[in-house]
Amino acid sequence: MHDGSGRIVVQNLTKQFGPVTAVQNLSFTVEPGSVTGFLGPNGAGKTTTLRMLLGLVTPTAGFATINGSPFGRLGQPGRVVGAVLEAQGFHPKRTARNHLRVYASAVGVPDGRADQVLQLVGLGAAGDRKVGGYSLGMKQRLALATALLGDPQVLVLDEPANGLDPEGIAWLRSFLQSFARSGRTVLISSHLLAEVEQTVDQVVIISRGQTMYYGPLDHLRKSQQSRVIVQPSDVNGLVTALRAEGVTSIEQLPDGRIAIAGVTSKHVADTALKAGVSVYGIQEEQIDLERLFFQLTSGQYAAPGYYVQQQVPPQQGGWA
Amino acid sequence: MGVMGNLLQSEFRKTITTGLWWGLLIPTVLLAFGWALGAGFVGKGFVDLASNADVEQLSDLLGVTPDQWKVSLFGIARSINIATIFPMIFGGLAISNEINRRTITTTFLTAPSRVSALTAKMLVYILWGAIYGLVIVLSVALGVSLSSPSSLLPDFEGWLALGIAGIVASILMTMFGVGVGALMTSVVGTTVVLLLYMLLIENGLQLVLASQGVDKIIGFLPNGSVNGLTGSVAVDLFLKSAGVVPSELEQVLRVVAGSMGAMDWWLSGLIFLSWTAIVFVGGWAATARKDIT
Ligand SMILES: Nc1ncnc2c1ncn2[C@@H]1O[C@H](COP(=O)(O)OP(=O)(O)O)[C@@H](O)[C@H]1O
Ligand SMILES: [Mg+2]
Repeated sequence: MHDGSGRIVVQNLTKQFGPVTAVQNLSFTVEPGSVTGFLGPNGAGKTTTLRMLLGLVTPTAGFATINGSPFGRLGQPGRVVGAVLEAQGFHPKRTARNHLRVYASAVGVPDGRADQVLQLVGLGAAGDRKVGGYSLGMKQRLALATALLGDPQVLVLDEPANGLDPEGIAWLRSFLQSFARSGRTVLISSHLLAEVEQTVDQVVIISRGQTMYYGPLDHLRKSQQSRVIVQPSDVNGLVTALRAEGVTSIEQLPDGRIAIAGVTSKHVADTALKAGVSVYGIQEEQIDLERLFFQLTSGQYAAPGYYVQQQVPPQQGGWA
Repeated sequence: MGVMGNLLQSEFRKTITTGLWWGLLIPTVLLAFGWALGAGFVGKGFVDLASNADVEQLSDLLGVTPDQWKVSLFGIARSINIATIFPMIFGGLAISNEINRRTITTTFLTAPSRVSALTAKMLVYILWGAIYGLVIVLSVALGVSLSSPSSLLPDFEGWLALGIAGIVASILMTMFGVGVGALMTSVVGTTVVLLLYMLLIENGLQLVLASQGVDKIIGFLPNGSVNGLTGSVAVDLFLKSAGVVPSELEQVLRVVAGSMGAMDWWLSGLIFLSWTAIVFVGGWAATARKDIT
């Protein structure tokens, strides 16, 4: 029924909810042995994509496969793919252990497996409590335990860090890494790059249902540019002088300083000197990934594999 | 255990790991028992009255023998009918609760297909319908036996026929509930609609239809037909043992049995089976295709 490869393929996936295009012509592949981050701001279409992959939502167009098969033809899906989709999928009056036993039966694993996964996610002592009394973080752990019942080859997680304490996040991080190192596949979504930055090897960044970047996180890191932050005596004077030299990537920061991308600090200092502008402070800075992520997902850029430096929005600067 | 066996166990565990099954079973027992107890007293009162010397003259005049009438049959049918409200609610929550609690996501993620998950659920709720039905029949039997003299009670065959009709009615009511719940997907909405319709709306409709002289239509309505299943069994049993009963009295007897305008028991059963099939298939189709977002 499936090829056992552990590969996830998303091909030209589109989903239309009435007038809303939640996902538009999305394609990417997730290879086993790695953790892939699926990133995008709220409403970007992450949840919809993952639910299409898992057969819960019918695509308007395109298809998605796990191990070479659509979800509905995996046979025993619980043995192939485990999913953490929401921390709310529990009956509040059912104990965690009973919840797990219900689905252990469905997946076809012995009841002892329910106790194992409870221990694994650190809920061993709370197993006989009703889930209604659980904190959000405990529910996330229980959702992960449920996903692990069938000892699956592929793990799909939708914003699993929501509600987890720092200790839980650190635990999840190392768990997912060791899971992937054993040759299995992890696809994890988040709206915060920083949250998964240390966990993922690959990223798929989407915005408004479309792919913005798809590739190794390292390539994204290397494409980062440095920028120069300067505090001049005369902001307008320096900006005019820089523009005259063809420098356009200029941005005014909220604290009154300006940030210039694609130049060296020496260049900025020389220009300021020539323009007769005093420089009170100057420093060179790497643009962090989070900022890059923000730029990629602010909806203006659609070229995969690289990003475009943001221009100064005219209405924001103190000059025109 | 094969895949279907696994899913059946999973669905059955779902039902016994929350308190709903006994939370609804307690009022089921109380209502079935209480109603049957009361109906037994009423029936006994009627027979006592009919056997009283003055009335007996009238009876003799009409050539009827009310002291041989097994009037408890009607009480039994009515008690069963009213108590099957609870298995219907139990069924109504089967799918709506899963959608509401969002457990349907995991249910579909752990089953080979939605069809297999829903099939397992259907079979488990048929079993629950039968369990509720059996408990209802036993509670009714206990209630009516405590308040009726044994001469007014059905014989073994009568009990068997009523018992089977009661269990079948309970299973069908459960399935009817499952279908409505799957169509409505809201727990509160399902409960309110089922209760309002079965207890108020259709009874009102029945009165209107009866007053317009088209009471035959009642037997085709959901509540009318399911009541007809048990009610007509009761009427048939009654007629078999009652000796002389004027034929004009038959429709009156159906009213007494709580199944105004009902057809024969098997036809009533088939009509309600059709209603159940319509809502069930509709609910099934909706759930099988629904986007779970
Ligand atoms: N069931 C639905 N009906 C209508 N619109 C929906 C539905 N589910 C999601 N959407 C819309 O699709 C878009 C993508 O949503 P979602 O996939 O949840 O994004 P994300 O998970 O990235 O936050 C949003 O605009 C959302 O409002
Ligand atoms: Mg989401």
